[in-house]
Amino acid sequence: MNKGSKLPRAQHAKSLDSRKYSLWNFWVCSLAFKILLIPGYFSTDFEVHRNWLALTNKLPLKQWYVEHTSQWTLDYPPFFAYFEWLLSQFVPAKVRENGCLDLVEIGQFGMPTVVFQRITVIISEILLFVVLQIYINKSAANEKSASFVVASSIVLSPGFIIIDHIHFQYNGFLFAMLIGAIVAAKHKRYLVCAACFTTALCFKHIFLYLAPSFFAFLLRAYVLDFGNFKFKSYNDLIWLVRWPNLFKLGSVVMVIFAVCLAPFYSVMPNLLTRLFPFSRGLTHAYWAPNFWALYSFVDKVLTFVFLKVPYVHNFLSRFISPPLIPATIEQIKEKLEVYNVGTRGLVQDVYFVILPQVQPKLTFLLTLFYQVLAVIPVLFHPSFKRFVGSLTLCGFASFLFGWHVHEKAIMLVIIPFSFLVTSDRRLISPFRLLAAAGYVSLFPLLYESQNFLIKLLYSVVWAIIYFFALKQTTKVSSSVRRRVFFLDRLALFYIVMLIPMVIGVELLNALQWKYKLLQKFEFAGLVIYSIYCSIGILCSWMGLSWLYNFDEPLWQ
Amino acid sequence: MATKKEKLKESFFASPLYDFLSPFRPVGSQYYAEYVIVFFALVIRCAVGLGSFSGAGVEPMHGDFEAQRHWMEITLHLPTSQWYWYDLQYWGLDYPPLTAYHSYILGKLGSFLHPAWFALNSSRGAECPDLKSYLRFTVILSEALLYIPAVLYFTKWLGRFRGQSPIGQYIAAAAILFQPSLVLIDHGHFQYNSVMLGLTVYAINNLLDGYYAPAAACFVLSLGFKQMSLYYSPIFFSFLLSKSIFSPSFNVARLTSIAVATMTVFAALLAPIYLSGGLQNVLQVVIRIFPFSRGLFEDKVANFWCVSHIFIKYNQKFSLDELKRFSIIATGVGFAPAFIVAFLHPKRHMLPYALASCSMSFFLFSFQVHEKSILVPLLPITLLYCSTDWNVLSMVSWINNVAFFTLYPLLKKDGLILQYFVMMGLSNWLLGNFSFVTPRFLPSFLTPGPSVSDVAGTYRRQSFLPESLFWKVVIVTSYLAMTAFHVLDFFVQPPALLPDLWILLNCAIGFGCFTLFWLWNNYKLITMRNKTLHDL
Repeated sequence: MNKGSKLPRAQHAKSLDSRKYSLWNFWVCSLAFKILLIPGYFSTDFEVHRNWLALTNKLPLKQWYVEHTSQWTLDYPPFFAYFEWLLSQFVPAKVRENGCLDLVEIGQFGMPTVVFQRITVIISEILLFVVLQIYINKSAANEKSASFVVASSIVLSPGFIIIDHIHFQYNGFLFAMLIGAIVAAKHKRYLVCAACFTTALCFKHIFLYLAPSFFAFLLRAYVLDFGNFKFKSYNDLIWLVRWPNLFKLGSVVMVIFAVCLAPFYSVMPNLLTRLFPFSRGLTHAYWAPNFWALYSFVDKVLTFVFLKVPYVHNFLSRFISPPLIPATIEQIKEKLEVYNVGTRGLVQDVYFVILPQVQPKLTFLLTLFYQVLAVIPVLFHPSFKRFVGSLTLCGFASFLFGWHVHEKAIMLVIIPFSFLVTSDRRLISPFRLLAAAGYVSLFPLLYESQNFLIKLLYSVVWAIIYFFALKQTTKVSSSVRRRVFFLDRLALFYIVMLIPMVIGVELLNALQWKYKLLQKFEFAGLVIYSIYCSIGILCSWMGLSWLYNFDEPLWQ
Repeated sequence: MATKKEKLKESFFASPLYDFLSPFRPVGSQYYAEYVIVFFALVIRCAVGLGSFSGAGVEPMHGDFEAQRHWMEITLHLPTSQWYWYDLQYWGLDYPPLTAYHSYILGKLGSFLHPAWFALNSSRGAECPDLKSYLRFTVILSEALLYIPAVLYFTKWLGRFRGQSPIGQYIAAAAILFQPSLVLIDHGHFQYNSVMLGLTVYAINNLLDGYYAPAAACFVLSLGFKQMSLYYSPIFFSFLLSKSIFSPSFNVARLTSIAVATMTVFAALLAPIYLSGGLQNVLQVVIRIFPFSRGLFEDKVANFWCVSHIFIKYNQKFSLDELKRFSIIATGVGFAPAFIVAFLHPKRHMLPYALASCSMSFFLFSFQVHEKSILVPLLPITLLYCSTDWNVLSMVSWINNVAFFTLYPLLKKDGLILQYFVMMGLSNWLLGNFSFVTPRFLPSFLTPGPSVSDVAGTYRRQSFLPESLFWKVVIVTSYLAMTAFHVLDFFVQPPALLPDLWILLNCAIGFGCFTLFWLWNNYKLITMRNKTLHDL
């Protein structure tokens, strides 16, 4: 009985046979927890999805992307609309009477609607469990325990609990398809991979951020063939391409896109403006913890410093010419009045007082630049690890430099990274930083006091379990000695300090009504969150980038 | 025989709890298991706390939530001399002084955040979301500081004493911490029972360690928090008395130290009351705490008086004084065996059994029992999850379910049905009680059962059922009756003449099971008297 109970470890591969590695128990346990969350807080996203249920149910297909009774218009791709339509077919009479399917400006509904929609999230999330169970079952015997740790860390992720089961969205179900694509890529089932990813894309277009990596990987691994390539003339380039494969891949992708978009051919312009609303500001209402949050913060600090200590401005002006920073203090004051940003700084459109304004084009170029950097190694060497690494870095690039990024997009980074982390001990530090900072950055989504303890305690216990389990299951690579221990300690310190940060901000908010000073800095708590978390995420990105670009043995 | 031995070794072998905690088995990582169970216990309490509470939105009196909040309000704003006198009709303070001090501290802390929550008079009926979160938080804090460490200490102490594996200790601790009745009453319905129960567990822990005076002090504190822990007092009394005068010999020092500790703590608890309002104030506290002027029972409760009241209308046949006398006699006869055995055999392993038997007889036969009082006998019973005897574990698991079932009418009134069913399912599933639902035709990864622990694929864990046929029949029948009750309650309206018919049915089932359990408990008490802690 004690024979193999030393914990999932590679050297115990023999005794692993009796373990089932089934996610069943985790599902039951998390199910109980999710049901208990039903009566709790939900965000406006709940009303958004309710409205989509109503409009797909009540209106003909052509009207879906035109309708605008409610302000929460349909802005997900058609597959998601079909999915909502499908769900609306199962609305029981009692829920219907409750106002679940009323097409109105502001929904009036009660507990039955809440229960119904919450249950649809719980049921659709089963797909996530199924896909991850397939991932576990298909992995080789010596990596089963590592796969199991990864899979269970995803299904129990505080991200899904916070976003899906409290805040309300369907991410568990959507990420199941992305994970399906990753698993298919691992087993070299390229067509399945393409189909899964295209489907995911047609459900939620945020996956577009990961598309470069999939494109490069499928192109290099499935379509191009450098095996027998010998350059004699340019005609030979034709034989570089495996035409039947290209044809198969193309038709799979095209068919899925056709099924998705063809019915909406006549309303395509509406659909596209709904999907890509470029009129939004650089940062979301709450600064997602990315590069621009730091940029805005630096701007605020500089404004403050320049106004209080004009000498600094004089000094800097000697080195930096006026287009980059304002020429005089008066100009700064003028700008402040025009933008009326002051200390609040959290309006829809952010203007910078000292630093140059940021154009959408610039963010787009930056994102693209780092994505291309991430993708190039895949073109040279399309291994699964390389692919997942590039996927993670694509997610990072879009999250850190993108235009109008939501904090929820951090899941696009954490989930691919989870599949990578067990391959090398040195990846654990960046992963811990990312997971800790990323999940904490989701906390402001649940601003109500009733959720405070839940989100904190659940995330902490998740971190305790999986930081421990990942360390147990990851391989110690030959190059582990090159690890910089000091940085690891620093990362650990940073992670532990997240807890006092969260508690402090909560106290700040609780005492806000009492003190004038705190009211003046109404959004100080959110700013602290995004600055502190963005530091962690940025460091994690740099750590991973370093290993990705300069550490050969890791990616073989 | 082999399986039986295995059962003895790991009572929870192959249960989901075992499954979840087994990855922490290596020596270096055992302490993780402790964090994990404590955190999950707290998370589940938070999640239950999202639900409704007693008297939410019920004008004008609200419920226990308002009572607790109101006590914070009056202790905060009134001088100590007024605490037990102020507007008694509106949730006058009727718990002992430690509750009042506890309320005072929490009120102080809360009014630092928001004075309006506890403003005198004007805050009556306040139940805004932030206030609810704060009060829920205080319950969790109280439990995390008192009950949870006490239980962990108890399980670890026993485990170490018996050479049990640390994971085994933690599994027992988790089984105790996931007891649904306490979770739902404290974090759903809203009360601070965990403080009283936690102090009692500390008293037991001190007895395990042989610290008799601290044990007495802890018990008096528990008594000073809620008079309900009086249900335990005969056992503590007889155990401590026997230890100091009788076994092994007369021990003056011990007797004196126990007496001094008891007196000191009592005096300390009552001193502020006495100093502020004199003897009259102290008398008022006693009058408020023991409401003998109320009826034999208040709400429907699964005890002897309420259930036999269906056939014998006591309030028409007898006067209140006669009823008081009856109940005192019945209770005394009820706890006599436990009292005598505890006196003659004051051994540590007897404590849970004796406390359970004694408090159960209080619950079944004493005056003015609330349905929530079942938590008192349930505590020592639940501590028996540390036992390694399959039969004992089965009985404990069964009576826990029955007790939780008898709380259903109360929870239904509070709007906590969802939480009730989830916790009923979760707590049983964690112990492995649903392992009989194991389809064999599914592929192994779809078959419910252990997934990370090293359990043979063919191994099937049994549900908790004793070996004796009689108890098997009793338990299965009671489960069927409970299911029938839920079906009736859900689908069938009770007849208009008897609107409480289903509740009475609930009480009758509960009473039957409690009585049978109590008899078994007394039998166990006799048979266990010459055994040791290893046989617990």
